[in-house]
Amino acid sequence: MAAKQLSNEIEARIRQLWPRFPEGKAGRALCLPVLYMAQEQFGHVDAEVIDLIAARLELTPAHVTGVSTFYFMINKDRPGRYHLQVCTNIGCQLMGAYDVFDRCKARLGVSNRQTSRDDNVTLTEVECLAACGFGPVAQIAERGKPEIPLYFENLDLKKIDAILDALAEGRVPTELGN
Amino acid sequence: MGWFDVKIISEHFGVPEAKRLEYYESKGGYLNARKATAMAPESIAAEVQASNLRGRGGAGFPTAMKWSFVPKDAETVYLVVNADESEPGTFKDRHILFWNPHALVEGMIIASIALKVRNAYVYIRGEMAREYRVLQAAIDEAYAKGYLGERIFGSGVSLDITVYRGLGAYICGEETALLSSLEGGRGWPRLKPPFPAVKGLWGQPTIVNNVETIANLPWIVEHGGKAFADLGVGRSGGLRIVSVCGHVNKPGVYELPLSITGRQLIDEVCGGVRGGRKVKGVIPGGVSMPVLAADELDVPFEFDALQKDERIREVEVRPGQKFDLGGGRTLRTMAGSGGVVVMDDQTDITKAAWRIVHFFAEESCGQCTPCREGTGWLAAVAHRIAFDHGRAGDVDLLASISDGIAGNTICALGDAAAWPTLAFVTKYRDEFDAKVRTASLHHRSSPHPAPSHAPAAPHDEGGGA
Repeated sequence: MAAKQLSNEIEARIRQLWPRFPEGKAGRALCLPVLYMAQEQFGHVDAEVIDLIAARLELTPAHVTGVSTFYFMINKDRPGRYHLQVCTNIGCQLMGAYDVFDRCKARLGVSNRQTSRDDNVTLTEVECLAACGFGPVAQIAERGKPEIPLYFENLDLKKIDAILDALAEGRVPTELGN
Repeated sequence: MGWFDVKIISEHFGVPEAKRLEYYESKGGYLNARKATAMAPESIAAEVQASNLRGRGGAGFPTAMKWSFVPKDAETVYLVVNADESEPGTFKDRHILFWNPHALVEGMIIASIALKVRNAYVYIRGEMAREYRVLQAAIDEAYAKGYLGERIFGSGVSLDITVYRGLGAYICGEETALLSSLEGGRGWPRLKPPFPAVKGLWGQPTIVNNVETIANLPWIVEHGGKAFADLGVGRSGGLRIVSVCGHVNKPGVYELPLSITGRQLIDEVCGGVRGGRKVKGVIPGGVSMPVLAADELDVPFEFDALQKDERIREVEVRPGQKFDLGGGRTLRTMAGSGGVVVMDDQTDITKAAWRIVHFFAEESCGQCTPCREGTGWLAAVAHRIAFDHGRAGDVDLLASISDGIAGNTICALGDAAAWPTLAFVTKYRDEFDAKVRTASLHHRSSPHPAPSHAPAAPHDEGGGA
């Protein structure tokens, strides 16, 4: 397999953002944005991607590793095609989020942070998504589609079933999302 | 007078084109930023001082006072807008970013002139992908019009705004952790002092303000600080955007007078409790804030009233012993982030309390031992109680761990976990005790001892409250 390379889009974005930070500070400041963009490109951030980012931004691999593992949104393992993230925090919990989350686990045959056997859906319990008045809430990311993720609000068992059906058919039901 | 007679930020929420510059300008938008380019920085600051504007992120600190800490001879000053809204129960900034992004941009221009800022940043929650796109589009529109960049509005003022996305860490809403993150590191809070206004981003004076705080500035420049102060109560100027969730008929985001009480908010704005039920408890300002019991809701949801009104019980460490906030001050509650969580009389308060401390255990950054270890213990003990494995002494243990965390950490996350726990135990002690009693009856007849640690997958027992 060919060695990984940061995409031309990432290179362009680095050049665009570089002058927005003071001299000597930009490489480090760009650590988070480049981690995020690299994840959009590769799906997850492994040791090879860490080395690429460290070399490009003139940081140590140790620093980039420390940052990438500190933040929840950086996937250390390769997620399924869809990443279904269900909030169970207080606003959602009060409205039945654990019923929704349990339904996801049962239908996908997984526990929290696992991927379904067919590699289609990774299920993750997440903390507050700042949509508490419309709970339970979930967010879905699709590998290779940065224009997703979408929020799915006011979930109940019927709605989460419809969402899981659509994911099984290979599509994000954007008509149900916000 | 109705609750919605005046609106400052939310008037056009829900109008699809409201997020476009053309629409915003048709309602008088950017006239105040233009006006500010011709004002002396000191006179903008004086209007903000007169306005009694207080920070809308959680602490309620007077904005003009925060600004005044920037050294007068500073060469480089940064403005950073905190759009990392992640306090559970809070979803107001997400609405402002989505429906009225230009109010934030215009407010940033005004603040930047007042503070002599050349480079400003917005630190936005990583999860808010949709809001990021809307805000970036608004900023791009402003650049295209010459309202941002070199010599804005043809004046001598230049300003760049850069949007920086977080990557999922509650702690980055804490202002010094936010700066650590924006510099490209882990979101670790820093000791204060020095405060960011003196030594912040890259060691330079930096003002970190919340989205809603900044979005109020165009109105203040237009109408004057005094008019803003007159809308408020006492030392708190303006209106407040509150987000209400939980068991009400009409949850949502509302811009309201600060004089509104909890009961009026629930009954007159949110259509009452669902199913005609009674209230059991209300969290007034995000889950860091001590809960209010049903008989404490006739107090205005305003910064000073929630801290001082004697109708609200003081939080205790154990029955009869008040929690000491430091210097002998006691704790009632605080207005926090404006995130209101309403729990009806069917709510299992022990499960709600567990979910809240579980959150803080997940989100502790790990720097300080009392918080890193203590929040984990809180979550384990609260889980034991909530899921019928509680042991004699567990309720006192919750309070004792909380008291050991509070005040002993670099940042306020430790307090944020400890205070609500103490308040739940103070106000719903009977429910916690009853849970422990039934657990011990149950397990006396069971051949299997209760597990000594929280189960690895607590949700397998169903986490609903």
